Amino acid sequence: MEDGGDGEDGGEQTTTNKQQPANKNQQPTNQQPKMQKDAIRQREQRTGWILITPALLVLALVFAYPIVRAFVLSLFTQNLGTELEPVFSGFTNYVRLFGDGRFWQTFGQTAIFTISSILLELVIGMVFALVLNETFRGRGLARTASLIPWALPTAVMGLAWAWIFNDQYGVVNDLLSRVGFIEDPITWLGDPVRAMIALIFADVWKTTPFIAILLLAGLQSIPQDLYEAHKIDGANPVQSFWSITLPLLTPQMLIALLFRFAQAFGIFDLIQVMTGGGPAGRTEMISNYIYATVRRYLDFGYGAALVVVTFLILIAAVAITAFLLSKTRINVTGER
Amino acid sequence: MIKISQFFQSIQNFLKPKIPRFLALILSTLAILHFIILPAFTQQPVTVRVLMQALEANQWQPLEEKFEEENPDINLEIIEGPNDTNLVEDLYTSAFLLGDSPYDLVYMDIVWVPKFAAAGWLEDLSDRVSPAELDKFLEGDVNGSMYEGGLYRMPFRSDGGMLYYRTDLLEAGGYDPPETFSELMQISQELKEQDIADWGYVWQGKQYEGLAAMFVEILKGHGAFWVNPDTLEVGLDSPEAIDAVKFLKSTINEGISPPGVTTYAEEETRRIFQNDDVVFLRNWPYVFALAQESEISGQFAIKPMVHEPGEPSGACQGGWGLGISKSSQHPDEAWRVAKFISSRETQKQYILKTGYVPSRKSLFNDPEVVEKYSHYPQLLEVVENAALRPPIAQYAQASDILQRYLSAALTGTMTPEEAMNTAAQETRNLFAS
Repeated sequence: MEDGGDGEDGGEQTTTNKQQPANKNQQPTNQQPKMQKDAIRQREQRTGWILITPALLVLALVFAYPIVRAFVLSLFTQNLGTELEPVFSGFTNYVRLFGDGRFWQTFGQTAIFTISSILLELVIGMVFALVLNETFRGRGLARTASLIPWALPTAVMGLAWAWIFNDQYGVVNDLLSRVGFIEDPITWLGDPVRAMIALIFADVWKTTPFIAILLLAGLQSIPQDLYEAHKIDGANPVQSFWSITLPLLTPQMLIALLFRFAQAFGIFDLIQVMTGGGPAGRTEMISNYIYATVRRYLDFGYGAALVVVTFLILIAAVAITAFLLSKTRINVTGER
Repeated sequence: MIKISQFFQSIQNFLKPKIPRFLALILSTLAILHFIILPAFTQQPVTVRVLMQALEANQWQPLEEKFEEENPDINLEIIEGPNDTNLVEDLYTSAFLLGDSPYDLVYMDIVWVPKFAAAGWLEDLSDRVSPAELDKFLEGDVNGSMYEGGLYRMPFRSDGGMLYYRTDLLEAGGYDPPETFSELMQISQELKEQDIADWGYVWQGKQYEGLAAMFVEILKGHGAFWVNPDTLEVGLDSPEAIDAVKFLKSTINEGISPPGVTTYAEEETRRIFQNDDVVFLRNWPYVFALAQESEISGQFAIKPMVHEPGEPSGACQGGWGLGISKSSQHPDEAWRVAKFISSRETQKQYILKTGYVPSRKSLFNDPEVVEKYSHYPQLLEVVENAALRPPIAQYAQASDILQRYLSAALTGTMTPEEAMNTAAQETRNLFAS
């Protein structure tokens, strides 16, 4: 006779009578309206479940199914050697992966690319956002113009950047030699470190506007009176920036960083077009490797293992960062 | 009066464009009746589908029309794909993987053949063609269409790497075109010293498929090999192969090639050849027509690749042809298309229009072809030295291994010996697994 819903209700109401919270049939007449309320709530809950079922189904189909499928596939060997028939092979693919130098190399390169580009984008994007938040003539135009790189297709821009960094005809070398920094042209894309710098540069150019717009939205939600009060207390703009703008902008910064982290880690088109992973495979990213494994080598089992491991490492990285950041935020609010 | 005449004028103007429009309407109705509705009543033509790059699909339009005219019972449907051939390969791969490919014919680049054949996606055509007929095609094109003794592709157009050289610069220095690697180096160096040339030799050094294609020519010219397709023996760590890498590296070190060649693909090298004074260029036949329209028009010629004394010259075999999908419902009709397309007459019509390279030997010396493209007899000499990229199922992996380590050697992150030894080792591991 006792059901959880009533016990809850009793618990909420009878704060003084904690010892016997579930004795609900004591006063049936009094409980009547509550039971009705309960029924309504149950019905509402049911309707709620029905309403979110389509969304859950879509989520299951779009997210859960591919991940589960990839995991199952990663336990099989399915490549040209098995005539594309799946043959169960347990964790062979994972064993091979741990000894695969190319995987760890591309993984490290992806990490370097991701971290350097999103940190640079955050700093430059912040500068952009602060500038665009000020009132000046032609601000609308400046805001629109700053978005243009973000709107251009990456593959096309990748081609353009490859020419910009060309050693003979490239704009970069031309500028540098006119200013007098260099005498002989630099082969930007022909050296591992310089090619990585060129890629990061192109990516920062393209996606900084995205971060700038997110931060700008955040800036506009900070009330002006905070700054005024701070100023009256004798603070200068730099102090205001550190103690008002930055803390209040943390959520937007986190969102921007998360978005960009996921995006940059999956970078594919820019590399494919600009360097093709070269020189010597030193700018190859994890997506390029997975693409080659699955689409060009037709090695589906191993490709799936690569996907699963990358996915797990990514989830772990995001979880750890989120955890650390949430801790620091609690500290910040706790001190105040 | 003036007003009335104006009125009539305006009426006439109003009617004028209507008449041709009306005529067009009648004609198109008749055309629909004749070509679509009537055939539909009499017999249902069989549809044969093929996917190819949009650019080439347009060029195939006249062939399609001619074929359908001659074969009213077959409807050849050409589906336009992306212009990037990698993406077309992806589309074919996806179609085959999902089973029940919608394409009856597969328009294939030569390097796809072993992989597609090994995956069991293609029909063996050996029984349909006589050896005598195959003899009329360039040997490299036929060999590149074979996998483990079966024929999986009918060659349509060919392709091969070659050496372009500037006739005016060579004349200015008083040189004959080079035959060997060392002659090429010497001429380049001396012309550069005399300030006649900006650069000696440009080639494709970026890490991509073109690097492997360029390297098989250098390997062959040094008497070395990459992979023996029959025994899967790997020859990348032989002293000759290491010499081949050292040759490429020396062109950069001695200032004959711009340091940026390690980042160039075909187009970058073509532009430098056309815009600067560059003596030699390694590239494909498509450059000829484009360079002919540039500033260096009439001042360049082609010849087979240079080689070591006593070794043969190598031209990396490329090219396209038609295979028949195993899942096709109409293999016989598809075969008729393939036969028509690879026929001498069709190739000739296509080549005269587009300037591609034929796969049939006799066309290179055909009077009409020679009249339009006077360099084709020379081109035959080039493409007869075919150097195949190894026709093995794991070609894509082998090519990636070579590209990575060759690029490492060329950019100086590894020594040639180190790079080639590791590449050979990894390739052997690949075959062992």
